[in-house]
Amino acid sequence: MMLLAEESTSQERLITMILFTVLIAVTIAVTVRASRRTKSAADFHSGGRGFTGIQNGFAIGGDYMSAASFLGIAGMIALFGYDGFLYSIGFLVAWLVALLLVAELLRNSGRFTMADVVSYRMRQRPVRTAASVSTLTVSIFYLLAQMVGAGALVALLLGIEEGDTYLGMSADTAKIVGIVVVGILMVVYVSFGGMTGTTWVQIIKAVMLMGGALLVTALVLSIYDFDIGALMSDASNASGAGDAFLQPGQRYGVEVAGDAWQTLVNKLDLISLGLALVLGTAGLPHILIRFYTVPDSKTARTSVNWAIGIIGTFYLLTLILGFGAAALVGGEAITAQNTAGNTAAPQLAEAVGDHFGGDTLGAIMLAFIAAVAFATILSTVAGLTIASSSSLAHDFYNSVLRKGQASEQEEVRVARFAAIGVGAVSIVLAVFAQNLNVAFLVALAFAIAASANLPVILFSLFWKRFNTRGAVAGIYGGLISSVGLVLFSPVVSGKGEDAAGNSLSLFPASVDFHWFPLENPGLVSIPVGLLCAVIGTLTSREEDHDRFAKLQVRALTGAGAERAGSH
Amino acid sequence: MTSTHPVPDASDPPGGDLETRSAAMYDDPRFRELRARLVRFVLPASIAFLAWYLLYVVMSVYARGFMSREVVGNANVALFFGLLQFVTTFGIAILYSRYAVRRFDPLADELRDELEPDRAVPAARKGEDA
Repeated sequence: MMLLAEESTSQERLITMILFTVLIAVTIAVTVRASRRTKSAADFHSGGRGFTGIQNGFAIGGDYMSAASFLGIAGMIALFGYDGFLYSIGFLVAWLVALLLVAELLRNSGRFTMADVVSYRMRQRPVRTAASVSTLTVSIFYLLAQMVGAGALVALLLGIEEGDTYLGMSADTAKIVGIVVVGILMVVYVSFGGMTGTTWVQIIKAVMLMGGALLVTALVLSIYDFDIGALMSDASNASGAGDAFLQPGQRYGVEVAGDAWQTLVNKLDLISLGLALVLGTAGLPHILIRFYTVPDSKTARTSVNWAIGIIGTFYLLTLILGFGAAALVGGEAITAQNTAGNTAAPQLAEAVGDHFGGDTLGAIMLAFIAAVAFATILSTVAGLTIASSSSLAHDFYNSVLRKGQASEQEEVRVARFAAIGVGAVSIVLAVFAQNLNVAFLVALAFAIAASANLPVILFSLFWKRFNTRGAVAGIYGGLISSVGLVLFSPVVSGKGEDAAGNSLSLFPASVDFHWFPLENPGLVSIPVGLLCAVIGTLTSREEDHDRFAKLQVRALTGAGAERAGSH
Repeated sequence: MTSTHPVPDASDPPGGDLETRSAAMYDDPRFRELRARLVRFVLPASIAFLAWYLLYVVMSVYARGFMSREVVGNANVALFFGLLQFVTTFGIAILYSRYAVRRFDPLADELRDELEPDRAVPAARKGEDA
């Protein structure tokens, strides 16, 4: 039952390693195949725009459902009950913003990046620079959180404890090896396979993830004879929180008795997080560029519909997985492995495997879910890497440095090298940050996307008066306010330490320079970003109604939209 | 493989290049109707789902007594409210897609084909590439 039970560890590790190796071999093979078809810029950045709605829907799911959603939300539900579910809902509802306001219009009016749309009727260089800075910041923060998590996970999934070694690796070495292997793989997928390779890795992951989640959910439910009520009462009893486990308030918006100020702060923090989640998704660069991989705007719509179906189903399954882990594994056994609950899903898989087929099936299930988790990390980091390298090559190198004069071959070559650079930088950062508390970076990436990117995208498409200064001010205003506020928030310093003496903030517990009370900046930074865009626009005389007319006609009718590559 | 790309410039209809014709299309009453049809659905729907979601979050924060009330067995209001968010999200996606196919796409296609007559021909043979 215990993840690390001595007698079964070596068997589990062997199966886990075999599955990891198979997964790596398959994804590399797919990448090699994709690399043969990756010649033009449209091939590299957008996979030749030839994916179908279903394929892209799965790829979007694969891109979006990071380890933070799969392992993090299942763990959060297992430990805190209802609040984990509350968190997942923001991730789903957000897709309506993408469906109704962004996907189709972006597909019609852009080529490769978010900046294509924002800079359409503006002065190219300042707007592209700003969009590129924002894209890189969001992607690198997100990437860093994923990679630090990946290091810890690989060590955990292989079951290497403090003082223990496997293949000559201690837990600390395994963490670094995990980070480096993930970093190298993502660079290989992106620089060789481009968007086609990345997309297939994401599709494979989405299929594995849905298959794994469905299987474990079905097994959990069958243990309870499909009586969800019984599962819920078992989960709430096992949690020790009783009925409160099924109610909001265990994790977010916690009421602190006798401290009205902290209670208010906690509650506003949840609203702030909710806003960032729901408005951030449609401003995440690695999500936006997925809309360019299909032939036209109608297929972009279909792919978002598929994504909504897949992501929604997945979060419903996660609810059962979380409750199942609370009931069948128990909070104590989960936190013993990982205080954030990240191993709840693999532990649950092992527990149901044990239940139905003894230790061997338990070991196989554990290894399978560990492989799913590994695939999950790989596909998300690959998506983030291609978003960064496309923006560096297309927006920064070609449009800003070369004033649009670079050839396609040159742009693709720069993009491939940019992927290597992004990979190297994030490996180094992640190794340095490996023992820091960086989980907040995911929420921060959503907050930046909601504050800096989404307002500017919507104004570009719908506000006639919008201009260069507005776009630049909106992007930098949203970016600086969200990053700045987080810098002076409790997640960076001043949150104190946990029972084990680890700092709850990024900085050691002895350092405290925080003055902004909320952990999530969205409540303030989203209005600031909007306001900067409006004020910037109105203080500049620039107005180009002719270009706006062309942009809107193109966005709505699709006339002049980029076509699927033909080679 | 030889290029299957149509050469656009040669067959351009009168009225200048695509950009010029697009700019002119902006003032066409049919384009205004197209935009009105999009906004008519998208604006109220966006306000509605954002308000509905925020209501859910705010109630999870400030109406915990109500949210904790049990409805069926140990399933409380909070659980059903959460599940309703899934239902409305799927519902709005379905309604929008239907609306778009019925009211938006035909007019958008008509205007696009007028602006880009070459695209109307064998519809860019998708599926062959990629």
